[in-house]
Amino acid sequence: MAKALEQPFDVANIPGPKTATLLEKGKPVANMIKKAKRPLLIVGPDITDGMFERIKKFVEKDSITVVATGSAIKKFIEAGLEDRVRYAVLHELTNFLLDPNWPGFDGKGNYDLVLMIGSIYYHGSQMLAAIKNFAPHIRALAIDRYYHPNAAMSFGNLWRKEEEYLKLLDEIVAEL
Amino acid sequence: MVLELGKGALVLDDMKNVSIRIGEVVEEEEEWAPMGPTPMPSIATLRDWDFFLLRRYKPFYAPYCDMCCLCTMGKCDLTGNKRGACGIDLAAQTGRIVTIAVAMGTTCHTGHARHMLHDIEHVTGKKLSEIPVDLGPEIAEVAPLTQLITGIKPKTLEDLRKALEYVEEQITQVMDAVHTGQEGSYLDFESKAFHLGMMDALGKEIADIAQICAFNLPKGESNQPLIEVGMGVIDRSKAVVLVIGHHAPPAFNIADYIEGNGLENEVELAGICCTAHDTTRYYEKAKIVGSLGRQLKAIRAGIADVIVIDEQCIRADILYHTRKLGIPVICTNEKAMHGLPDFTKKDPKEAVKYLLAGNAGCVILDPLKVGEVAVEVARARRKQRSEDFKPVLSEEEFMNYAKACTQCGNCTMACPQGIRIGEAMEAAEKGDRSKLEEKWDICIACGRCEQVCPRNIPIIDMLNFAAWNRLINEKGKVRRGRGPVRDSEIRNVGAPIVLGTIPGIIAIVGCSNYPNGTKDAYTVMNEFASRNFIVVTTGCMAMDAGLYKDEEGLTVYEKYPDNFDGGCVANLGSCVANAHIHGAAIKVARIFAKRNIRANFEEIADYILNRVGACGLAWGAYSQKAASIATGVNRLGIPVVVGPHGSKYRRAFLGRPYNDEDWMVWDVRTGEKVRIEPAPQDLLVAAETIEEAIPLMAKLCFRPNDTTQGRSVKLTHYIDLSLKYLNRMPDDWHLFVRTEADLPLAKKEELLKILEDKYGWKIDWSKKKIIEGPIRSYHAGFNPTNLERCLRDGFMTV
Repeated sequence: MAKALEQPFDVANIPGPKTATLLEKGKPVANMIKKAKRPLLIVGPDITDGMFERIKKFVEKDSITVVATGSAIKKFIEAGLEDRVRYAVLHELTNFLLDPNWPGFDGKGNYDLVLMIGSIYYHGSQMLAAIKNFAPHIRALAIDRYYHPNAAMSFGNLWRKEEEYLKLLDEIVAEL
Repeated sequence: MVLELGKGALVLDDMKNVSIRIGEVVEEEEEWAPMGPTPMPSIATLRDWDFFLLRRYKPFYAPYCDMCCLCTMGKCDLTGNKRGACGIDLAAQTGRIVTIAVAMGTTCHTGHARHMLHDIEHVTGKKLSEIPVDLGPEIAEVAPLTQLITGIKPKTLEDLRKALEYVEEQITQVMDAVHTGQEGSYLDFESKAFHLGMMDALGKEIADIAQICAFNLPKGESNQPLIEVGMGVIDRSKAVVLVIGHHAPPAFNIADYIEGNGLENEVELAGICCTAHDTTRYYEKAKIVGSLGRQLKAIRAGIADVIVIDEQCIRADILYHTRKLGIPVICTNEKAMHGLPDFTKKDPKEAVKYLLAGNAGCVILDPLKVGEVAVEVARARRKQRSEDFKPVLSEEEFMNYAKACTQCGNCTMACPQGIRIGEAMEAAEKGDRSKLEEKWDICIACGRCEQVCPRNIPIIDMLNFAAWNRLINEKGKVRRGRGPVRDSEIRNVGAPIVLGTIPGIIAIVGCSNYPNGTKDAYTVMNEFASRNFIVVTTGCMAMDAGLYKDEEGLTVYEKYPDNFDGGCVANLGSCVANAHIHGAAIKVARIFAKRNIRANFEEIADYILNRVGACGLAWGAYSQKAASIATGVNRLGIPVVVGPHGSKYRRAFLGRPYNDEDWMVWDVRTGEKVRIEPAPQDLLVAAETIEEAIPLMAKLCFRPNDTTQGRSVKLTHYIDLSLKYLNRMPDDWHLFVRTEADLPLAKKEELLKILEDKYGWKIDWSKKKIIEGPIRSYHAGFNPTNLERCLRDGFMTV
């Protein structure tokens, strides 16, 4: 099947022959979460209020472990959700993810599906590159406003189309 | 061949047509310390130490590119750690690219050192052997890196030259190893990168000590004068000479020319990047325009009457910009000549005439000729302009450009920071310039946006226009770079550092590729100095921190003294002065612990890793030099935090706290292996935001050897800073608790309760004692080492 093409948000960030499949719907993401044994949502600090409203719903649905990185954790604390999300330094967390023997946040083992949203774009891209190349046990999806070529699958560049983008997040949440 | 002569007379009679050549005269070196095990180590000598570090801090690879494009069998797709045509896999290829980057940084500092020695001979007219390595009465331990790595304690600059020769050979050998068909293991590439990082440190020490001794720069004295810093500090009523780069002898000559001709009231000498620091170390009246991130903004604002570049961190497109503004450029270093004609051998007056005739610039490689040319060109050009300093765009041009923007978004997608330039343009069109103004500081002025704008909008000029008030009022202060740390200071702080009662040494260094503007430099410096950490700084971050003031109008440099002591902020100088930070850590081992530092790298690095709570921060690291600097301090056992752009260095050193076998050390006291807490957890790690970086740095100051008093001080700061910047208790603070005496006194009961409830520890509440839970118990005689040799033979002391 021909892959839909999208430009990386940081246009020169072309890693090589393998780039993320473009995701244009939310439902397949929800299906992948449901099928995964150990899904993990990584939430970084680059999020709008609209995005955070949707992310809170991920937390409430309780079907995926949510971890905040950078100062994103402060938003969850303000929202009274501290006990329901984890915190990690993204770089350290990605290092753990690469290790199949990492016991995970709950001691039950590593994760098999990682979703990334709101990470500082270029840093998140590097973390996805690490997962792509060195964590065959993990599939990584970027559900951010930007096309992330290093993910296995990624939403497109919707940073200027917030409504359209939030609809995709709503689609995921609705299916969980 | 060695001919040894004993007592008696050597008589050479009746010898005709015989020449006797005497090569190097080897003087017997005074036995200042026993020679350690590794004088002038080669690539493989310290491999065991490297492999220990690489086991604990397994290289974490985030490739920037999944391909290799280096030989004609390629391009090769290495995605998923596949092997390419030569057999290399992506991990090794990434290690190889890291090694190449570190080599670039190392050659930069080392080339700078070599150039410095050449210039010193030329400028001073003295032989290197005639210039003593004299750092004043308070520094007997001169050149600790040179002692540690080569076994040489330099007496003159000639001794430094010998050390430099060694560095140059090592660089050549490692660069040989990155050729296709050589090294195949990522671990060995990293060991080689470590080796180069160590060479980088040595190269920097040679460069800085040489310039200090030859040009009489400050020798570690405290209470250095405050230097003006900022885009707004330039007195445009004077002729303005702007120097950019890292190699200051040409700028020294400009200062000599100004002073020699009594032109101080007529000519302003200012700089960007490290050459600015070093110029102020020579000429106190010099000013600092700013860091690398201000370079294009300053050039495009038209601040300078003439620009003098030397080496490193100079914009490759400098002539493209200066030509448009008619600012002549003088290239003073053969490493950056920008295609300009060479006037080195011509009369300086001819060069002046040439530059004033509207030519873009020229090359003058003799530093002794630069002063006259630069100053006279600036003076002549000053006469041709008014005193007014205005934006290069008119109000009308600004508005027309704002209207011309079609919101295509190309600029944002080209911007390394992803700045929403279009939105700011749209707001400006509607009369609100605040968004553009706000972005002025976050923009690192790389100029990529202008390259992709379909309407050719000069975006840097737009930002400068919108932020003009800020630009002309940007006036801060920075301490002049003081150079090395004095032995007397180490005597005062050695014990508190090792015992942990001074919570740590925070080294704030590197470039200005910050994720969110310059203020973070101030925030982090102020935070740690206010908490009695020792803060040392160099380079661009030292400048940027000085741009901000507290409520009382004081910069960090006015608020805190510049001693190497708790609660101080000491600017040591330019990037090459970073070597004095390594030097301070090494001197703690030498002066406080009486360890032999002569040719004894592994043992001293082991000492530092276990005992010296130091952490570097390179929040805006961008260059290959920053890669070599970090790799060098990492090999010495000092962790570094970088900003989010830092993950583009492709390799980090991150620990796995849950993996017992990574954290086993020998206790020399018992001869047993002990599982220690993850201290320090990482050697190289990127944080996403400064709020995350600050508690992380506090955490990276834990060391297994901390006393209970020290550990409780460090825990206090780690917990406080997490609460302050992330609004929460850290998740892993309990890992660093060995005994109830480690707990901060004020919070002891509260924390014991958390240990019991959340982590399931057993507490004896009648005695408020921990019965069960910690990774290990505390013993005051704990004597950690990671070196089997030290366990077997003991430590080398003097």
